[in-house]
Amino acid sequence: MLDGLSFELLMAIVASMAPVLCFGLIMVFTRRSISASVTVGIIGSFLSWFASLYLFLHYFHAEEAVVFKGAWVVSASLKIPFGYYFDPHSLLMLMIVATISLVIQIYSIGYMAGDPGKSRYYAFLCLFSWSMINLVIAPGLLQLYIFWELVGVSSYLLIGFYFEKWSASEAGKKAFVMTRAGDIGFFIGIIILMLTTGHLSIAVFGNAAEVGNTGLSQALLTLSAILIFSGAVGKSAQFPLLTWLPDAMEGPTPVSALLHSATMVAAGVYLVSRIFPFYAASSTAMMVVLIIGTITMLLSSTMAMTARDIKQVWAFSTISQLGFMFMGLGAGAYFAGVFHLTTHAFFKALLFLCAGVFIHHFETNDFFEMSKAGARKMLIPMITVTIGVAALSGIPPFSGFFSKEAIMAGLAHKGNIWLIAGLLGAAMTAYYSFRVIFVMWFPKGEVEEHGHGHEGGHDDGHGGGRWAWVTEWSMLSVLLILGAITLVLGFFQKELEHFLTGHSAEHHGSQLILVLALGCALAGVILAWFEFGAKNAKQEGFLSRMKSVEALFSNRWYMDHAYRKLLDYVVYGGITNTFTRNDRVIIDGGIDGLCRFTVSLGRAVSRIQSGLLQYNLYLTFLVVALMGLYFLLV
Amino acid sequence: MNELQVYLFVALILFCLGLTGVLQRRSLIAMLISVELMLNAASLNFMAFNRFLTPEPAVGQIVTLFIIGTAAAEAAIGLSIILAVFRRYQSIDIERARELKG
Amino acid sequence: MEPLMAVIIPTLPELIKFEWVAQAAFYFIIGVTLAGAVSAVFLRRIIHNILGLIVALFGVAGLFIYLNSEFLALMQILIYVGAICISIVFAIMLSDPMYKEDPRRRLTKVFASVLVSLLILAGFLSMITKTPFEAAAQRSDDWTVTTVGNLLLTRYALVFELISFVLVVAIIGAIVIAGQGRKQRSLK
Repeated sequence: MLDGLSFELLMAIVASMAPVLCFGLIMVFTRRSISASVTVGIIGSFLSWFASLYLFLHYFHAEEAVVFKGAWVVSASLKIPFGYYFDPHSLLMLMIVATISLVIQIYSIGYMAGDPGKSRYYAFLCLFSWSMINLVIAPGLLQLYIFWELVGVSSYLLIGFYFEKWSASEAGKKAFVMTRAGDIGFFIGIIILMLTTGHLSIAVFGNAAEVGNTGLSQALLTLSAILIFSGAVGKSAQFPLLTWLPDAMEGPTPVSALLHSATMVAAGVYLVSRIFPFYAASSTAMMVVLIIGTITMLLSSTMAMTARDIKQVWAFSTISQLGFMFMGLGAGAYFAGVFHLTTHAFFKALLFLCAGVFIHHFETNDFFEMSKAGARKMLIPMITVTIGVAALSGIPPFSGFFSKEAIMAGLAHKGNIWLIAGLLGAAMTAYYSFRVIFVMWFPKGEVEEHGHGHEGGHDDGHGGGRWAWVTEWSMLSVLLILGAITLVLGFFQKELEHFLTGHSAEHHGSQLILVLALGCALAGVILAWFEFGAKNAKQEGFLSRMKSVEALFSNRWYMDHAYRKLLDYVVYGGITNTFTRNDRVIIDGGIDGLCRFTVSLGRAVSRIQSGLLQYNLYLTFLVVALMGLYFLLV
Repeated sequence: MNELQVYLFVALILFCLGLTGVLQRRSLIAMLISVELMLNAASLNFMAFNRFLTPEPAVGQIVTLFIIGTAAAEAAIGLSIILAVFRRYQSIDIERARELKG
Repeated sequence: MEPLMAVIIPTLPELIKFEWVAQAAFYFIIGVTLAGAVSAVFLRRIIHNILGLIVALFGVAGLFIYLNSEFLALMQILIYVGAICISIVFAIMLSDPMYKEDPRRRLTKVFASVLVSLLILAGFLSMITKTPFEAAAQRSDDWTVTTVGNLLLTRYALVFELISFVLVVAIIGAIVIAGQGRKQRSLK
């Protein structure tokens, strides 16, 4: 088992187990009392965050991965570990997850104020942090897979949090089923690895030197890599399975920020980067990752250009940024992908939380209406959302600029066509995100002042009384923290690179790429300015002049329709119908027939029962006599 | 045929007579009487073996005593059942008590 | 006269052959037993049956005497004849009235039950004749009531208590069963 209980191990246990303890506490003891539940949840997250911070700092200079593990499944040719695995990558991810979980829980004090299901909400958040943290520090793919599925479950629970709303519960179901569809591939991939190598240790698959020694043939390696990638496709909402993520915005906004932008969807990227050397060993798998990432990024960017719902815009941009990370990984730029994952986690959480403030305040999701209602009077959220958008579009000196630039360099290394696709995506990203910003800063047409509006700050009446400031500042302080992180994180590129890869490479991107990337972003911003920001702008995108294209984009390229058709004709019409008929006719009929047979047999046999005791006795003795005779004579 | 076998034979005939009665009489009391005959056959067997075969001739007597005691209990129960049956059916004819007919 | 008597009496055992008498009495008792049993089973009036049973029980008691157990013979008469048969007579009086015509017996039923009995008879008969019965190597000849009493209160004390317990339960059960019927009837 685990060898010796050191202080580090204790901290690891605290980091990984505090949230689930809180989940249990809330579900069992404090469901009735909302304030107790909130306290428990936040204390648990804080403990977990603190332990993570300790581990992060303690192992910051560790030479090699620190592993606490025990044997879990052991048989002749099979050895599956469980426990904790700390290397720079998992520590970084652990830090991200713990930090964002903590700030989201603080933020939710305000956002969810007055919601009767708050206890349940905090319990689910704790469940999510637990599964995500354990996913991140898993030493083996099987443990990772288990928590991967748990993450899916908690995602389902949180998307469907407003389960009384039909669309929310449908969205939860959709998210769960679609991610499951990818997970099947993941699981098959794991099984292939388990059968061929006999272990699922990340220490091996994550080590370039050892991947070659696992005894996998090239074909099997490619196959299992692609299958595992299909799990990442589902979880990170990549190309064929991307439509669940926009629908997942039915959940509370902090949940969108936590699960569907910063951490959970990043799990797919994390999975690929976690066993990156394994992927790097197969050029086909890398190409698949690159192609899927590119398609996703371009598709979802176009979708974001027509959306009017602020959360939808951020959702599509999340998908496209995840695609961007996969592009980086697929192009072989390991650090760029992970770096973008890190920066993205913070600025996307920031964007969602700002959106949450607006939604909370104006009670609408449409940013055109928010703008008309006077969104620009809310200074702190407006400034932070601008910071986030700038980071998202890759404007210096915000963090997104550095990470995007790193990915661009990787893409340029791979080939010009990928670089062009990346630049196109960057331009579109800048366009749609600044579209939101310009619309909100510069409202056009009738400006109706929101009822209880600007001069009272953000007193929205939900918090009520003297606790209103708690509600307000629990949200705003989080915005400020995240804004600050977004602002400075980019400058730690060198340190992070050294931490992750062990060496700090020279800036290998050429000046040309830098200029190109910046130019594309600026082009997008300028286009957005002329259409939405400038004094005489009509606030109509250029797409509205091309109706068919706009329809294509706003209907998400008809992907949902295709899935609906597939479901109706193949799943419901074909498979479900067949099984239903099978159930009704064969199984039900068989059981009914059996019952009828038994009953009629019983009726027939019961005629023998004459009710005459002597008759029964007679038969008994007859049998006894015959048996006795048999034994005596034979 | 030695002396033991004579006893056994007598007991056997008693048993078979009792069995015939149990199987054939319709009156519950007659059936009870026949059962007593069968019990007597059994105790006669015990006594015979006790007399001719066993190392301790006291044991068979004790068993027979027990049989007599059990027979007393059985008769008490049987008679009360017969009375209950009579109250229910106004008769002690076994062929009229056939509510278990399927 | 005196001398004649003096001559005859000592020689009487030789004349009558006491063993003959005993043998004859033995078969007579067997005959009585079987006759009683037959009348207990085959006669049609229930009161004749009970009388036949009493005769058969006396016969079995006589056989017990032949088997060296006067105590048990007395017990047999005391308990069976004195208690069980009397209570059966009470039951007869409490149930069907005597003037009621006995139901006719069905010949098929009689034949079938006789057949089964004969089968069992045949089976056991062959068993009796085939089995070589052998006495135990060492046998004590202690038949006395003293030993029986000692054993009952020492080795078989538990069983003795148990049988008394069974009797108590039987009595309670009999009262309950008989009483329940009365309650049901009174409810009706």
